[in-house]
Amino acid sequence: MKNKYGFLKRYFAVSFLISVVACQDLVEQPKGFVYPGNFNTTISQAEASLTASMNALWCEWCSNYSYGYGNFIHDDVLDGGDLEIGNGFGSDLWNQHYIALNNINGVLKAVKLGSITNSDEQSEIPGLLGQARYLRAFNYFTLVRLFGDIPLITEDTPDPVTNPISERTPIADVYALIVGDLEFAIDNLPVGNSPKPSRGAAQALLAKVYLTMATAPLNETANYAKARDVAKALIDEGMYSLVPDVFEVFSPENKFGPENIWSYNSTEDDQNTDPQIWTPGIMDGWGDASLDLLWAENWLAARPNEPRQDAYLILEYDGVPWTDFDEAKPFVGKYVMPYIPQEEYDAESSTANMPILRYADVLMMYAEAANMAEGGPSAEAYNAINMVRRRANKVPLDIPNPAIDLAGGLSKADFDKAVIEEREFELVFEFDRWYDIIRKRLLVELTTKYHPENLGNVSDDDYLYPIPDYDAKLLGSQNPGYTTE
Amino acid sequence: MNEALHKNYKAAFGALLCVIYFTLPGYSVTAAGSIVHRIKNEEHSNGGYEIAKERIITGTVKGDDGQTLPGASVLVKGTTLGTTTDSDGRFTLSAPDNVETLVISYIGYTSQEIAIGNQTVINITLIADMQILSEVVVVGYGSQKKSDLTGSIVSIKGDDVMQLPTQRVDQALQGRAAGVMVLSPSGVPGGPTTIRIRGMNSINGGNAPLVVIDGLQGGDLNSLNPNDVESMEILKDASATAIYGSQGANGVILITTKKGKKGAPMINYTYTVGAQQLRSKLDVMNAGDFARTANAFKATQNQPGNVVIVPTPIFTDAEVAAFDKNGGTDWQNEIYQTAPIQNHQLSLSGGFDKVQYLVSGGYLDQKGILLNSSFKRFSLRTNVNVDINKWSSFGLSWAGIKEQGNAPPFFDGAGNADALGYTVSVAPRWAATIPVFDEFGNYNRHPSNYGEPGMWNPLASALEPLSDNGTLRNNVNAFIQFKFLKDFTFRVTGGAVTANQDNYRYLNRETKEGFQRGGQGSIISSQFARYQNSNILTYDKQFSVHHLTITAVSEQQVVLSKGSSVVGSGFLVDGAGIYDLGGATSLVASSYNNDKAINSFLGRVNYSFKDKYLLTASYRADGASVFGENNKWGYFPSVSGAWKVSEESFIKDLGWFSDLKIRGSWGITGNQAISPYETLASLSSSNNNYPYQGNSLSDVGYGINRAANPNLKWESTKQTDIGFDIGLFNGRLTATFDYYEKTTENLLLSRQLPTYTGFNSIIDNVGSVGNKGIELTIGGDPLVGDFKWNTSFNISGNKSKVLDLGGLTSLPFRTTPGAGYGFSTRNNNALLYLKPGSPFGEMTGWITDGTWGEAESDKAALFGQLPGDIKYRDINNDGKINRSDLTVIGQAQPKFMFGWNNRFSYKNFDLMFLIQGVQGNDLFNVNRIRLERPGDSEGTSNAMLDRWTIENQDTDVPAFTSQSDRKAAALTSTVSGIDTRVSRWVEDASYIRLNNITLAYSIPQSIISKIGLNKLRAYVTGSNVFTITKYTGYDPEVSSFNTNDARLGLDFGSYPTARSVVFGIDLTF
Repeated sequence: MKNKYGFLKRYFAVSFLISVVACQDLVEQPKGFVYPGNFNTTISQAEASLTASMNALWCEWCSNYSYGYGNFIHDDVLDGGDLEIGNGFGSDLWNQHYIALNNINGVLKAVKLGSITNSDEQSEIPGLLGQARYLRAFNYFTLVRLFGDIPLITEDTPDPVTNPISERTPIADVYALIVGDLEFAIDNLPVGNSPKPSRGAAQALLAKVYLTMATAPLNETANYAKARDVAKALIDEGMYSLVPDVFEVFSPENKFGPENIWSYNSTEDDQNTDPQIWTPGIMDGWGDASLDLLWAENWLAARPNEPRQDAYLILEYDGVPWTDFDEAKPFVGKYVMPYIPQEEYDAESSTANMPILRYADVLMMYAEAANMAEGGPSAEAYNAINMVRRRANKVPLDIPNPAIDLAGGLSKADFDKAVIEEREFELVFEFDRWYDIIRKRLLVELTTKYHPENLGNVSDDDYLYPIPDYDAKLLGSQNPGYTTE
Repeated sequence: MNEALHKNYKAAFGALLCVIYFTLPGYSVTAAGSIVHRIKNEEHSNGGYEIAKERIITGTVKGDDGQTLPGASVLVKGTTLGTTTDSDGRFTLSAPDNVETLVISYIGYTSQEIAIGNQTVINITLIADMQILSEVVVVGYGSQKKSDLTGSIVSIKGDDVMQLPTQRVDQALQGRAAGVMVLSPSGVPGGPTTIRIRGMNSINGGNAPLVVIDGLQGGDLNSLNPNDVESMEILKDASATAIYGSQGANGVILITTKKGKKGAPMINYTYTVGAQQLRSKLDVMNAGDFARTANAFKATQNQPGNVVIVPTPIFTDAEVAAFDKNGGTDWQNEIYQTAPIQNHQLSLSGGFDKVQYLVSGGYLDQKGILLNSSFKRFSLRTNVNVDINKWSSFGLSWAGIKEQGNAPPFFDGAGNADALGYTVSVAPRWAATIPVFDEFGNYNRHPSNYGEPGMWNPLASALEPLSDNGTLRNNVNAFIQFKFLKDFTFRVTGGAVTANQDNYRYLNRETKEGFQRGGQGSIISSQFARYQNSNILTYDKQFSVHHLTITAVSEQQVVLSKGSSVVGSGFLVDGAGIYDLGGATSLVASSYNNDKAINSFLGRVNYSFKDKYLLTASYRADGASVFGENNKWGYFPSVSGAWKVSEESFIKDLGWFSDLKIRGSWGITGNQAISPYETLASLSSSNNNYPYQGNSLSDVGYGINRAANPNLKWESTKQTDIGFDIGLFNGRLTATFDYYEKTTENLLLSRQLPTYTGFNSIIDNVGSVGNKGIELTIGGDPLVGDFKWNTSFNISGNKSKVLDLGGLTSLPFRTTPGAGYGFSTRNNNALLYLKPGSPFGEMTGWITDGTWGEAESDKAALFGQLPGDIKYRDINNDGKINRSDLTVIGQAQPKFMFGWNNRFSYKNFDLMFLIQGVQGNDLFNVNRIRLERPGDSEGTSNAMLDRWTIENQDTDVPAFTSQSDRKAAALTSTVSGIDTRVSRWVEDASYIRLNNITLAYSIPQSIISKIGLNKLRAYVTGSNVFTITKYTGYDPEVSSFNTNDARLGLDFGSYPTARSVVFGIDLTF
């Protein structure tokens, strides 16, 4: 009997020990580590994601303060560029915009999943979504204009890393998302001027979106009226106005209005904007970001002694005219002295903002859209474009000035041409010119005018940049005129 | 994870019961968890005999210590009829009446044959066989007779290691096991050691073997006191390592520590004391020679523009004469010292009937040969084993180790990153013309008119940094074991390894960084804990000629680590430094937390038939939290077999072989290689924040910087091994041979992503590497008798080949030693690349064939070169030297390595030595790039005196050609885009080293017994005694980049390995 008990004891002991054995949970629940599972749970976290989205664009832009410089070099304004657009051109831009979109979609997805649970913050969610959707529209608007059909990724798209996308979304569908996002943003963004997107920015951007849809490649001309209406609504609301003095347009105190609607912001404490990139050697600048000589000479000859030229360009330094610069070309002055102090310039930092949307642009968009929608220029369209012209010449904005105003009675086509030309000068070095060139299909005309030696490089294929090689390979298609192994 | 523990409680419980159910043929399990006796009466096999008349023989088998021996084999001689003893050591055998002799055997004991006559009750006492005992080797989750092994395992006894006194277990492995590479990448006291078993499997996943100390995985060899080691087993092939599944791919080192043994208390004390010094200095110029050389170069700088000038010499004739007189400063003498080392070791062990104990303490105090470096280790280890009753036992061991060092943490490519590495690389190239201190007693700065002005005084870099690194480790390990049923053993072990580390560093204003930043310091603290629970069920049964052992294990491991760091700069008071963080004007803090869990279920079957045919199969399933969610579980099978040919009668009858065994194995092992959370997407802040809200400093952007990879999993290695073991002349000559092939797949490499995902790449399982090699060990006792000689020689060679890099044609590795070396500042100018089809460690560069001679001036002119210029090889014969002439210039991996151990004994004298070496590998001697840079800069090497001149044309040191001569020659150089990756700096790093030699004398027993001692031994040991090598650096055994095996083969600024002599006594009473 004793023996039998002995056996039992052993079983109990073993059973007991077995019962203490347990498995560990293999699902990772990180602490001290930020991952999508524990982020975007508050408004400020979500705004940190949006900041990161801007970091990506900023990275492209701030790395030498030149968001557009290399990527839009083939326009007629920037010096350099021979329209030989090779594989991989613009791929950094593509990359950074998709990094931005990834972060924005992260916010939209988290909010959709109900990650923001704080009851005090519920009321702020629509405004947050407005920001996110505005920024998403902005990113896709850049991409769709430059690359055409693109992979469209939203918060509802399955993770493209594990589910590669094999088709590009047609341009029109991309615009549908953009318009939807901007309409939402208009309804949900606050009115006002700040570094963050505002309702006005969404309106201005939507006007530009419609205007672009009305022109190439979609050429849906019904959108002219929509562009006109959106722009008019913005103008009529009276939130924004032209800075009367053309020499004050880019002053730091005007960074957030009345004219500047949305811009790349630059502050004292950011280390990334070096104004010397824009300036000639005589100013200890880099000396390579000049205006195209022939384009500049054309402007200077077409509008002799226009104050705007002195305000926006560097035509002389310390008494030395641009013709005597080492580079013998004019440079852009919008982002340097006198707008920023000398100390900032010397310290290779800048507080000058680079505009993305400003009121002058809205006025010109209105003029263009109204003219095209209505079959000819109305008085209102004339007034809009003339305001910009009067400001450029430092004359009172509201008083008609026959010497400066656009000649009356222009045909629809001539008025349109005059508006596009005004945009060319007013928005010089704001990296908008390439978009005008492609939506108005101006390459042959401009190349013939300034650089006929490059005509051999020009074809309709140049109106789209190439999709980056590896992406094109997975997507199964490339834009015409480019090759992918 | 407590919640998780509850959640999975039921599942685990069920799983374990299942394991038990399948391994318990006679029992079923009810849902309630109690085990119900189903078949009550066991029937012993009768081996198929038809027996007319039978008798029952019963008895008990005991060991010579009086303990009963459960599981001992009792066989009728000449038949397969037999049984094994039960848990009380009793057996009952039903045997034919005519049986005459029984054979009783048990592992570790000499077999006995008993003539039984008419007896029916027989009690047998087996005598422990020390010879055989030593032949038991530890394998994963158990132990086996060495003769029963089917895999490739090298067993090293602790006593053998301690014959050649050493401070470190890892270094004691060097040269002792075929296929095991031990590399001390630097000589810093307490520094890391690189151990590789059978080559490198992984590119990014690490190749360090798994260390298992007393069953606890993830041990640290460096912190182990060598005196505590009972045995080390190195598991090499998949049959041996697959039982460790996803952690076994790089081989496994099993350490068994000493345990108390039954008997009277025994006290052992050893003491060693010795000194270490620099093995050899670099050959640099004295002050006079340097001054003349600098002047000579300066004289060539005579046409900076269009006009020929006469440059002013750097040193006047009077200064040169003074230098000749005083010789100048020997910077290497200034920073290196003869450093003492001492080691105390005291242990007490013994045991009563049911309790055995051991307490062991050690104290190592080692100063480094570089000023201001040191390492101390206090270790205390204690264990107790208790036999609770006949069927259960319990054991507990604890080890506490405190390490204290003063040496900077060694970052990757540490050469320049830390002050000590900086000292090592800079001291030889500081001109001897500069005194250590200026006239006011301050450290001299480098003069601005020659040399590199930014170089910092090497003595200041060595002496001034504070580096106080403390580590406190605790290892606790307990088990309880039940022999709960005949043939079954159930063992539950639980263990924890914890390590708390804190590093205080401070660079005061006398150091370079401290000067630039107003003092700079950091405090880094980390807490590491690893918990492991293994539940091991063993079934061991001899059925006549069949011997079956089944091992089933469920195991869980949890690894927790967290830490924080603070880096401060701009300290108000240098003296208080890092101990007064409040005095810093700038502080940057960071912290982290990583958790990891592994659940494992594994099993192994060992089967032998007639003790001739052996079969082992194992299977492990590992579930690890670090794996991606779609691949949480990995499965690792292995199978192996062996044929003991020597047991076949046709071989046995020859009488030649005491052992002849042919083995073969195949298996799959894994390398976890994934850090916690690496499969998850992550967000991080950036340094450049867009001022989204209006202020970039406060508008912190958190961006998604890594994509989730739910498929990410272990790297997996398939390995096939065939081998044989031979014993001849009664075991006096033994040989072991192995051939293996390994293919590692699913390597963790970066895979390109389409950028529309928002990422450029992701870490994924792509890529593949192959290794194959041979290993041969020959050992024996050539001399026996009064004069004994025991020797063992091993040699092994491994060939690696990169098979696939996930579509990449080459993978560059950054080997940037810092500015000023002129190469590899970017990946596309790397020295080391991996390429499919090529082995690890191929160096890329230009071949130089010395210098152009006067007679070759026409040929030189074709390249726009003058006699005395470096002669580059025009690989593609296009008349130009440029990137298209890049080729393979060296091979960092050795072709083979070897070790030769010897022990001579004569009466009370012992002489032991170990010769060890590697053959066929190159080192890129980065130091020489600057030591031999011509001119007034840093060219301090004596090689500068051998520079090309008309009289001395047979040299690879280029001439000092004057600018005016070069301009006058009006040649157009076709040499372009060349950097310093040239074969001139590639040196053969093969070496043969007398690694260790010890002469010992044991005082005769007759004398010491009078003073109450059992043993008294005195010895003297030399380590790193001499090295035969062509390598011109401090030591051919070096590697400056250690985080990745694809980056081995560079030498710059690594702490040189010391040569040492120690005296020791070893006494026992």
